[in-house]
Amino acid sequence: MTKLVTLTIDDQPVSVPAGTLVVDAAKQIGNDIPVFCYHPKMEPVGMCRMCLVEIGRPMVDRGTGEVLLDENGKPRIQFGPKLETACTTPVSEGMVVRTQTKVVADARREVLEFILTSHPLDCPICDKGGECPLQNLTMGFGPGQSRFLYDDKIHLAKHVPLGELIYLDRERCIQCARCVRFQDVIADDPVIGFYNRGRRLEIVTYSEPGFDSIFSGNTTDICPVGALTTADFRFGARPWELKSSASICTHCPVGCNLTFNTRREARAGGNPVIKRVMPRQNEQVNEIWICDKGRFAYHYTESPQRLTQPLVRRGDGFEEISWEEAYQLAAQKIRASQNLLTLTGGRLSNEDLFNLRELTLARNGQAVLYSDMAGGDLTASYGLAPGSNFGSMGKETAILVVASDLHEEAPVWWLRIKAAAQRGARLIVLNPRSTRLDKFATHTLRYAYGEESQALATFLPGAAVPEAYQAAVQEFHSAENAVIVYGSEGAGLAASQGLAQTAAAILAARGKVGQVNNGLLAVWQRANDQGAWDAGFRPVEDLPAALRNVEVALIAAADPAGDDPLLAQALEETGFVIVQELFMTETARRADLVLPVQAFTEREGTLTSGERRVQRFYPALPPRPQTRPDFAVAAGIGKALGLDLEGRAASLVFLRLVKTLPAYAGLTYTQLAEVTPQYPIIGRSDLYYGGTAYDNHQGLGVQLPLLPAARPVAVGQSQTAASVTAGEGEILLVPVTRLYDRGNTVLPSALLHQRLAGKTIRLHPQTAAAFGLNAGETLRLSRDGWSAEAQVELDEEVPLKMALAVRSTGIPCSALSAVRLERLTVASAD
Amino acid sequence: MNALRAQYPEEVERILAKYPAERKRSAVMPLLYLAQRAEGYIRAQDLRDIAEICEISITDVASIVGFYTLYYDQPLGRYHIQVCTDLPCALRGAEDFLRQLSEKLGIGVGETTPDGLFHLEEVKCIGACHRAPVFQVQGDGEIVFHENQTVETALAVIEALREQARAAKGEQA
Ligand code: SF4
Ligand code: SF4
Ligand code: FES
Ligand code: FES
Repeated sequence: MTKLVTLTIDDQPVSVPAGTLVVDAAKQIGNDIPVFCYHPKMEPVGMCRMCLVEIGRPMVDRGTGEVLLDENGKPRIQFGPKLETACTTPVSEGMVVRTQTKVVADARREVLEFILTSHPLDCPICDKGGECPLQNLTMGFGPGQSRFLYDDKIHLAKHVPLGELIYLDRERCIQCARCVRFQDVIADDPVIGFYNRGRRLEIVTYSEPGFDSIFSGNTTDICPVGALTTADFRFGARPWELKSSASICTHCPVGCNLTFNTRREARAGGNPVIKRVMPRQNEQVNEIWICDKGRFAYHYTESPQRLTQPLVRRGDGFEEISWEEAYQLAAQKIRASQNLLTLTGGRLSNEDLFNLRELTLARNGQAVLYSDMAGGDLTASYGLAPGSNFGSMGKETAILVVASDLHEEAPVWWLRIKAAAQRGARLIVLNPRSTRLDKFATHTLRYAYGEESQALATFLPGAAVPEAYQAAVQEFHSAENAVIVYGSEGAGLAASQGLAQTAAAILAARGKVGQVNNGLLAVWQRANDQGAWDAGFRPVEDLPAALRNVEVALIAAADPAGDDPLLAQALEETGFVIVQELFMTETARRADLVLPVQAFTEREGTLTSGERRVQRFYPALPPRPQTRPDFAVAAGIGKALGLDLEGRAASLVFLRLVKTLPAYAGLTYTQLAEVTPQYPIIGRSDLYYGGTAYDNHQGLGVQLPLLPAARPVAVGQSQTAASVTAGEGEILLVPVTRLYDRGNTVLPSALLHQRLAGKTIRLHPQTAAAFGLNAGETLRLSRDGWSAEAQVELDEEVPLKMALAVRSTGIPCSALSAVRLERLTVASAD
Repeated sequence: MNALRAQYPEEVERILAKYPAERKRSAVMPLLYLAQRAEGYIRAQDLRDIAEICEISITDVASIVGFYTLYYDQPLGRYHIQVCTDLPCALRGAEDFLRQLSEKLGIGVGETTPDGLFHLEEVKCIGACHRAPVFQVQGDGEIVFHENQTVETALAVIEALREQARAAKGEQA
């Protein structure tokens, strides 16, 4: 426990832990000391001088060390000759701080006058206007007039693209370095910097592409002026015209809390449109950050390509039908069939999944999750215990990350695990190739693709430990808390099953289950995969066979045909295919009945994050006419079958869900919407402190309790390199994940196109040479039933006879597998 | 291939040897001087090369070039004639000295002679106030002080440099 220190700020006493900065102590009692360069998530630098206050300290007799008292018996306070910066000064016992005196007011006015000497004051056309710290503080404390000559203002470039995502207005910059420090200290992407000095100082980037960081958007939130803006929102709207709706990012299992800002626009026929996505504070999930995928990849929800009418197959084409006819047709086909398979994708909400499950079980169908990753039953029993929070992990915790490129798979977890490691958590990274996490790891260990479970099994108590692993294993076992994070780098279903089992066995054997900051975490490929597992959906090993053998397949939020030609073929053999979708995907194209659903921005519901936190999202936009939420569609089909399913509202579905799914027992929407005070205190009234991230009024969510394990875990058998080998003319295809993938929910965001993963295959130069391939040339991969073309990229880190393929780029790669490789053409030399 | 390393293999190693292996970024300033030696300024390729050698971002290297006035990011002339006109020097006639020098060279302050050899600059105190008028010449990887100057002695220095450049060229040919 850190010692408490008591001080007085404007006559109000406050006790805070030793080491607290004066500015933060003041904040805790509602005294907002103005700042520009200080940010509560970063170390102070004292660059702007906006936070100057009067600070006095008790006088001490040098001889005796005793505090000197005045005639009233009170300590005598000595004030320094100069003002001090509240952002760099830690509190001390008996300190007296004055923030409302004339000297302080004068200092604030002068600092502002100085900052404004070269500021363009173009608030009327500035994106920040209306939520601008500089504007607000000038109104509050600044001079009405400047003594500087208007003609002496320095003029700098106003539309500088720092890459295609972020724009810089050089003359608005007040040189606080918040952006530069964020990129360096928090994001570890020091790709923007200061150039020149004094009034000529400007922000530059030399990376390729410009401002190359997946966290770049956060700098626009913390920039205290309109110097940094996103290409997405720039000149898009005035902040005061915007309405806010709370939501959750659906792009990865982190479940970052978001706020959608919308505005009614003529171009949308007077309907609201999304103007921007902002982070919403949840200190246990995303703090006040989000990645650029979460910020910029929402455009699919408003795409003109969205489906808006139920469609039924007539010959080669589709014909529109009414919802009632569609439900009847679906019901009729399901009723007449012997078997039903429901295939769901992890972007569905818990309510959607629950109704689909009820429908499927009532017909004795098979509830299948469209995923290459296993272990959701194990995370339910061995997962992170409620109360666990990366933000509170330090040296007592060992975090073992295996088979995951976390920076690409779950950016904000990467950010928070990196921060935990910097606070002293022992980070052990186990991956076949280097990743952005290695730099922060205490131990970095390598294994060969296909041998992930064997590598992990060395962490089982009592296991034989190879030399190279010894220090790491010891470190792991000596920590008080243990977290194991597994992903799907190079791993398919069987391999990830092995990983999850091994990890659960390690945690169980070490007794690290059920305590705070202990447990197993899966880096799922989709936002609500955990929720789907909880609802009883399971991936199957041979999905083509499963699809081929059923009479009716009901597919929601999944595009198997788009990912894999074998699955597309299998669907041709399925009796009757019903698809619930946003878009005319490859799968929908092959369907017999296509049902248009609502995007998550148009409805409400809940999602369960990888940390098993159930979180609510709220509607931001009115639904498209003729679309329905997935849960209502499932209920509609169910009703036509005579089943009692709830389809009126997500909240009503949730009432049934909590009665059926044990982990969710007793949960209510009200509980999910509860908020407790968070630190740092950020918010709309005080944007200069934390930035423009939204404070959270709509719920922090609830972490699910762990379920008792069904049976003791068996140590995993992993698919080994020996079990898949590449023959003559073949290579082993290794699936890896990239953040900017080519999924159906990413492609419609044109802004990100330059950064999307290309259709490329990464080979070791020697492997490439063995096949007569050079960088940039085209190759063909094939295996029974499919072939795909891709460009060659050389990478010395790829093991020999292996090829790295990015998921979602059109190269079917659900698991480590052998494929034929041929050289196709020599790329034209341009 | 790292062009800077290829051009100055020994110098790069010598500079790196001065710093611990895990603190390579400390070598950034001497490496920048090294890169500036050849052309009198730092090219985009130099930034990339130094970033690679020091294992830091290109932007980090560039910020240093931007911060310090003795690094140049564009070709301004082979020799930078840097005349101090700060207060103590001004009291000893530095302003007049600069004006005359400028006239004799036929270029204004901040300009370069047509042959690309000399760039005239006005700088703040360079720490030789008691021997003003004073200027330093930066070029060919060196900085040389010239104190207690008159326009005549300065022109002689400049003539010698011109000779030196001509000789170096002859050697190359
Ligand atoms: S761009 Fe914004 S955040 Fe960056 S230094 Fe300038 S004012 Fe500060
Ligand atoms: S880290 Fe994941 S959940 Fe968070 S914004 Fe990025 S994609 Fe969305
Ligand atoms: S100096 Fe304290 S906020 Fe900038
Ligand atoms: S003032 Fe010119 S050298 Fe000091």
